[in-house]
Order: sequence, then structure tokens, then C-alpha cells
Amino acid sequence: MPKKIKINYVINFIGLLLLFAALYALFETGIFGTRTDYFKGIATTACYTIIMVTSLNLLVGIMGEFSLGHAGFMSVGAYASAILTNALAEKGVPTFLLFLLALLAGGIAAGITGVLVGIPTLKLRGDYLAIVTVAFAEIIRVAFTNFEITGGGRTMSGITKLSNFYWAFWVMVVCVTIMYMFIRSRFGRTVKAIREDYIAAAASGVNVTFYKVMTFTVSAFFAGVAGAIYAHYMTAMIPTSFNFMYSAEFLTEVIIGGTGSMTGSIIGATFLSALPEAMRAFAKYRMLGYSVVLVLIMIFRPGGIFGRWEFSLSKVLRRIAGKGDKE
Amino acid sequence: MSILIQSIINGLNQGAIYALIALGYTMVYGILRMINFAHGDFIMVGAYTMFYTAPLMVSYGMPPWMAVLLAIVVCTVVGVLVERIAYKPVRNSGSISALITALAMSVFLENLAMVLFGGNPKTVVKIFDLPMIEIFGAKIQMKYLLTLGIGIAIMVILTLFVQTTKLGKAMRAVPQDREAATIVGINVDKIITITFAIGSALAAVAAMMYCSTYPRCTTDMGSMMGIKAFIAAVLGGIGVIPGAMLGGLIIGLIEILVKVYVAPGWYEAITYSILIVVLLIKPSGILGKNVGEKV
Amino acid sequence: MKKKVISATLAIAMTASMAAGTTVFAEEEDYVIKVGAVCAMTGGSAVYGEGAQNAIDMAVEEINASDSEYKIEIVNGGKVADDAKDAKQAVNAYNSLKAEAPEAIVGSFFSAVTLPMAELAAEDDMLLLATGATNSQVTEIGPTIFRNCFIDPYQGKMAAQFANEQGFTTAAVIYAKDDDYSNGLKDAFIESAEALGIEVAYVGECTTTDTDFTAQATQAVGSGADFVFYPCFLDTVPLLVQQVRDAGFEGAIMGGDGWDGADTSGLEDYFVDCYFTNHYSSEDTAPAVQEFVTKYTEKYGDESLNACAALYYDAMYMLVEAAKNGGGSDTASLVSGMTEMKFSGVAGDIYLDEKGDAIKPVVVNTYEDGKIKWLQTIAPEA
Repeated sequence: MPKKIKINYVINFIGLLLLFAALYALFETGIFGTRTDYFKGIATTACYTIIMVTSLNLLVGIMGEFSLGHAGFMSVGAYASAILTNALAEKGVPTFLLFLLALLAGGIAAGITGVLVGIPTLKLRGDYLAIVTVAFAEIIRVAFTNFEITGGGRTMSGITKLSNFYWAFWVMVVCVTIMYMFIRSRFGRTVKAIREDYIAAAASGVNVTFYKVMTFTVSAFFAGVAGAIYAHYMTAMIPTSFNFMYSAEFLTEVIIGGTGSMTGSIIGATFLSALPEAMRAFAKYRMLGYSVVLVLIMIFRPGGIFGRWEFSLSKVLRRIAGKGDKE
Repeated sequence: MSILIQSIINGLNQGAIYALIALGYTMVYGILRMINFAHGDFIMVGAYTMFYTAPLMVSYGMPPWMAVLLAIVVCTVVGVLVERIAYKPVRNSGSISALITALAMSVFLENLAMVLFGGNPKTVVKIFDLPMIEIFGAKIQMKYLLTLGIGIAIMVILTLFVQTTKLGKAMRAVPQDREAATIVGINVDKIITITFAIGSALAAVAAMMYCSTYPRCTTDMGSMMGIKAFIAAVLGGIGVIPGAMLGGLIIGLIEILVKVYVAPGWYEAITYSILIVVLLIKPSGILGKNVGEKV
Repeated sequence: MKKKVISATLAIAMTASMAAGTTVFAEEEDYVIKVGAVCAMTGGSAVYGEGAQNAIDMAVEEINASDSEYKIEIVNGGKVADDAKDAKQAVNAYNSLKAEAPEAIVGSFFSAVTLPMAELAAEDDMLLLATGATNSQVTEIGPTIFRNCFIDPYQGKMAAQFANEQGFTTAAVIYAKDDDYSNGLKDAFIESAEALGIEVAYVGECTTTDTDFTAQATQAVGSGADFVFYPCFLDTVPLLVQQVRDAGFEGAIMGGDGWDGADTSGLEDYFVDCYFTNHYSSEDTAPAVQEFVTKYTEKYGDESLNACAALYYDAMYMLVEAAKNGGGSDTASLVSGMTEMKFSGVAGDIYLDEKGDAIKPVVVNTYEDGKIKWLQTIAPEA
């Protein structure tokens, strides 16, 4: 069995390499001509959005609780990493290392915030938890508006540009892989048990609060990593960008993709970061269209487009191979 | 001293407006267990209706506040349409779907208003021409008292309605057990539609009082105010009608007092911190009943 | 093991992407300047986008109908690209415009969204003419970045000077904590006011989304100030003025160019003794201003006629001027033509200094019966 899983990982990794190579070829050969940077920009946005959405899916899909304040963790990661790289700028740290440090700093800072927020609040459930996460995200936003080191309400600018699509792609791959392994681990299965019936789980000796806080922290950590990519891609940011609507956007993407489905999150995030761009020509009607699409999906596919279904490259290959055998 | 009195008065006024909005949230949540994020946008609809119709009222020789009757009609129609078209189909697919639909409707209404009315903020004509009195050096506008009075009146009427009338009792039965309510002959769909109609009509009244104090409408006025009012409802105990009033007043007072005496830049953070603390001590809100969970 | 593979791949990918150079496009020899424009077309600040679109349409029509040697073509089908006052949409808007190979990009109106765009423009050597990004860092990002608006410190300083000239002695400041513009004007005002001997008795904070200012108003009145400075945007101005007056304030209330376009209907009495600094006055007798104001009002009404519209309007003419100076419609000529340019437009006589910042006179406006009325023009310092 473990051997089979290993093979699956290898197959998926090769698949990713091929995907990356394809994208790389598309962007570098100039097939898109002058549009290259535009598509690259959307693709980069999609990468950090995917990390945000999959990390939020850990809460929504695996833990069964929803957060409306994920942009708050993202901003913690973004500001922490920007402060670090500003401090290390011109210290001769190689760019690659600097970027890794920034990602780690963002993740750790957001993770710590996750613990601090999670311990008191995770006793709450459902709508109440959602509203408390909104409250925390707003508190974080107000704090960043007031701290001098984060710009004191002004735009924090001049952050070194470290993120580009190729880096963001691989960071995304690593993050999603780790989260996938987290879900499949013993730990992840316990969290799923809590989701199904937390009273039963507690009765069988599971420390519910511990597992919940840990999941919350892992989720916050990856949101922080996404924030670090954001900060070093935008190079300038203001706390008001990480507002309630941004958090709501992430939650929407999780639900549209399918709660509990990583595939859904990835496609949901890609789709919804590209959708407003695809409708750019309609300018003022695009948000109208966007909201109508959302309502329609909720009416006709309430479980999200992919439900809990996961895409597996090895399964697809096997099916193709299986067909081949029969013929 | 006069600053303190003035601040308390200002806080109560702001709180009364939050309370009026919170009443609408609490009504819908109480019956449907659904956070209607679009409620703030119903208020926006009401405010724009007031903006366009209040001058008409004046030109026909009627007082401008009569426009609220039209606003009530428009808001009720919008509210019921939103419920029928968007919320009803997702009612049985879980609270997250309902929440997303509500968010989508909020975005929809805001952008529809943008297309219809343009992005320029509009100043609403003076709705009440009431005098101002001075007590201990503090200025009290009579419209403040009116806002508070209307808020309390609506609270009392709603409470009596829900407690004593047959329809009100049916409304309380729906959230407790929807199936059992159907069995005893309650038309759940009808009850929910009526709830939305009442909630939206309340939004129109809230819009009128909002415009009398803050005479301006923008397309995004509903979203942030809506969250504040919702938090007020949660603080007071969501689903409990007097709780919305209490929560609104508390949030209004805290905001103004923090701005004056503590740290103006942090006032939102402090409001939210108080919400968190209250929920941690008493998860069902100040006036809410703690309900044990079924195993 | 896998991690190693990943990091190795990452490193390879990195080097490869670094090695790949950027494509250089051949410059065409023509007399049409291709321009991309960015502004907030949706969201809470859409009123600025409306004004920008109208002003650009008007300017382009005029230029192309005139005998000007250079004509303007707005890419993206003549439409202003939407940034929704959001950084990530601004970056996408910039990139989507860039795909149509414009020679210059005009925008955007807020510093928070212009800064990331300026970073990209500096990288691409694209001419970026910012219209409302008042944060002083914007033009420091690169030599191809210019602006035709004031920088924050300037208006704050002028407001303080004006207060001093009018004999006000005690000032209160109410500003939005979460906005570049407001912070910048506040800092400059306080610094200059104190240097001029005006006592700043109260500094109150609010946010850009606030509607209730009663707390700040009560305190401003309590501080004994005879002058209130409120450097925020037009949507909250009527609310603030009304609430400050209702709190019993009888002195002067002043703001910056963000006030232009504020709706005073029904509040005519409240706006007596209110002032704001601006680029132009709709009452100005200069023909350029008169023509702009009449024509705009005729075509689109006065709802979206504000400082933003005037700045986008001027930006179009500045580009034509830059092409003439630089002798070509390609980006390099435009940049060289725009550097240290002298220009006369609706928003005054502008001189672009070596940093790309606009040095220009400030107009102080007041209100009479709710209508904007010119009060004085302060010439720029040498």
C-alpha cells in the first residue's frame, strides 16, 4: 500500500512538472505576445489565491467550521514578511533565500496569530465562530492601520519584488501537497471525526480543542505564506485591502469549488480569480454577473461544483491504461 | 462634563440607528437561522427610495417623511423577491450555502444600485424639521429622541406580535422544529416570506432614521453598517428582539465613548474586542438563552 | 527526498526565468499616442471613474478634432480600465492595458493602487502619469513616473498658510487614519501650522468609511478651535460639515482637493465659511477652465465634475504637449518631453520638477449659497 501511494506521488509530481513546463513554454515563447504579462499576472494571483482557498478549506471542509476572517491572517503574513525583507534588504542575502525567509516569516507570524485567535474562539461554533473571525480580522486591520511599522495607515510601499509566477507556482505546489498530506494523515482523520460528531469524538478521548486549534493554526500558517507572496508581488499594500469582502471572496471560492475538495478549491480559486478579468470588458456589469453566477451555482450545485470529489492523475492514467488492456 | 453628556447623547443616537438595523437581522435570524448579509443593502435600497421620493412628497405639499411609506413598499418588494428568487431554493442546502447566497445578493444589490444610480454620493433632503434643545450645555436634537422612540416602539410592537399573535407564535415554532411546524399546519414558506416582508419594512424605517441623521446615500453604505448592526444583534443575543435594541445601544455608546476618551483610531477594534469577550463568557449573547445541544 | 527535488526544480525554474529576457517591441513612427487609462470604475469610489471617463472622452474628442499634430487613441476600446480601488485589480488593469502596447498610461487616482502600478511601470520603462496619487513616494519609484496633482505636503502647508492669513489662531484637525492622502495633508498642516504659530488644539481620527463624526465634532468644539481642517474625500464632507456645525462650531472648516464635487444641496447654510484648496475653480475666468466647466456640465451634468475629472482631462493634453516637446509619440520621446515640462491647463500652470512632481498654484475656494466660489490663488513658491 505505501508503495502504491509513493508511486501516486511520483505520478502526480511528473504531472505537475509537465504542467509547469507547459505553462513555462507558453509564457516564455511569447505565444501570447504582449498579453504574456497580463496572463502571468493573473496566474500569479491565482497561485496565492489557491493557497488561501485550500488553507481555508482545511477549516471549512475538514473541520466543518467556517471563517470569514481569513484575509486577516493573510495580512499578518504579508506585513510580517515585508517588515523582515525590508530589514534584510541590502544585507546581501541571496534573493532565493530572502524569499524563503519571507515566506517562513509570513507563515510563522500568521501561525502564531492563529494560535492566539484559535484558543479562545474555537469553543464557539457555526455562525458565532464566523462572526468572531470577522471581528478578529477587523481588529487586525485596525491594528495595522495604527502601527507605525506597518505604515501607520498609509500605503506600505517599496517592498522588494521577489514573487513571480514561477516561484509562486512551486510554493503553491509545496503548500497544497503539505495540506493534502495533512488531510490524509492520522491527524487529519481525527479532525474529520470531530467534524462528523464532535461529541462522540470527545467521548472517545480526543482532545477536541487541541485538534481544532492545531488545524486553525496550520490554516493560518498557509494563509500567512500566501500573504508573503502577495506582499512581494504587489510591492505596496494598505491594510484596508484586507477587508471583510476579501475574506468573503475566499470563503465563496471554497464553497463554489466544493467543501472538502482540494481539487475544487484549486479550480474554484483559479476560476474566480480569472472570472472578473474575463469580464473586464463589461466594466460596471461584471460584478453583477459575478453575483448572479454565484447565486446560480448555489441553487443548482449547493455542494459546490466538485462536491467532495478529488482529481487523481494516477486514477485517470489507470483508467486509460485499463481501457487499453480491454481493447 | 458637558462633553460626557453630549457623548452619551450622541452614542445613544448612533446606537438607536444600529438597533433599528439590528432588529431586522434578528427577526430573520430568529426565524430562519440565517445571516442575511443583504439586509444592510435593503437599507441602501430604502435610502435611495427616500432620496428620490422625499422631494416629490414636498412638491405635493406633504411632509418629506411620508416618503417612508413608499420606501416600505419598495423594500418589502425587494426583500420578498430576494427571498423567493435566491434564498428559497438554497434553504435546505445548509447554512454555508445560505450565507454565500446572501453575500452574493449583497454584491448584486450594491452593483445594481451602481448601474442604476451612478457612483456619486447623494444628499437626502432634510426629513424632519425638528428643533434642538440644550440641557447642561449638551445639545439634544429632537430627531435623536424620535429615533430612540421609534426604535423602542418597534421593539415593543414586535415583541408583542411575536409573543401573543397566532402568526407570531407560528413564527417562533418554525425555527424550533420545521417539520413539526408543518405537521401542525403551519405554512412554513408563508411564514418565512412574512418574516422577510417585516424585516425589509423595518429596513425602510431604519433607512429613514439613518438618513435623518446621516443624510447621504452611497451604493456601499449597507455593507459596513450591516456588519456593525449584525454584531450588535449578536452581542444582545441574536434572535431575541430586545437584545437587538440593547446590543445596538451598547455598540453605539461604546464607539462614541472610545472615540472621545480612549483611542479614536482603535474604536472599531475595541468594539469588536467587546463582542469577542461577551461571546466567550456567554456565547448566546447578553439576553440570549443558552440552549443545550442535542446529542 | 521529494523536497530536494522540488527545491532543485525551483532553482532551475528560477534561473531559467531570470535568463529569459523581456521582449522589445518595435516603435512605430506615427502621430498617434496610444494611451491606457486606469481609475476606479466600480466600488465606493466609482464617482471618480465616472468623471475620469467623461473627461477623457471629452479631451480626446477635442484633441482629435483639432489641428494638433499628435492625436490620441485610448486603448481598451476607449474605456478606462477598472482598478476598483484595489491593488490586485490595479496590477491586472495595468497588465491588461500593457498588452495593447500603449505609449503611456494615465492613472490612477489613489496612492494605494498607484504604487504597485508605478513599480511595474518603472520596471517596464512605461510612462505613468498619475492623476491623484498624492503620496510623495510615487514619483520616487522611477524616472518615467510623473503626476499632475499636488503632493500631500503641499496642500496641507497651503491650508495652514491660509488659516494664518485669515487670522485663525487655534486649529482642530480631523483626518482619516486609513488613507494616504488624509495622513499626508494632516502631517503637513500640523507642521506648518505650528511653525506659523497656530495652536493645534485637537487632532481627531476617523476612517474613510465613517459616517458618524459627532465624537470628533464635540471634541473639536470643546478644544476651543476656530478652524477645523478635514482633509478627506467628497463622500463624507457633507456629513462632517453638518455634524460639526450641529455641534455648535461657528469657525471655518477647510479641506483639500478631495472636497471638490461634494454635494451641498440642502446644506447651503452649513457650507458658509467653508474652504478648500483645489487645482482650479469652476468660477475661474481663465478660458481653459470656463470652456472645460461649461462643456462638461452640458455634456454630462455636474454630478461627476470634480478635481479627478479635471486632472484626467489635463493629463490628455499634457501627453500631446509631451509628444510635441519630445518630437515623437513613442514612450521615450514622451518621457523626455514630459521631463521638466511647463504646461498650462485647466488645473493651472504646471511645472514638472526633476522628480516628476507638479509644481503649480493652489486655488482656494469657498462656498456661496452652496455654490463653489473662487476666493484666491496662491502662486507656487520658487
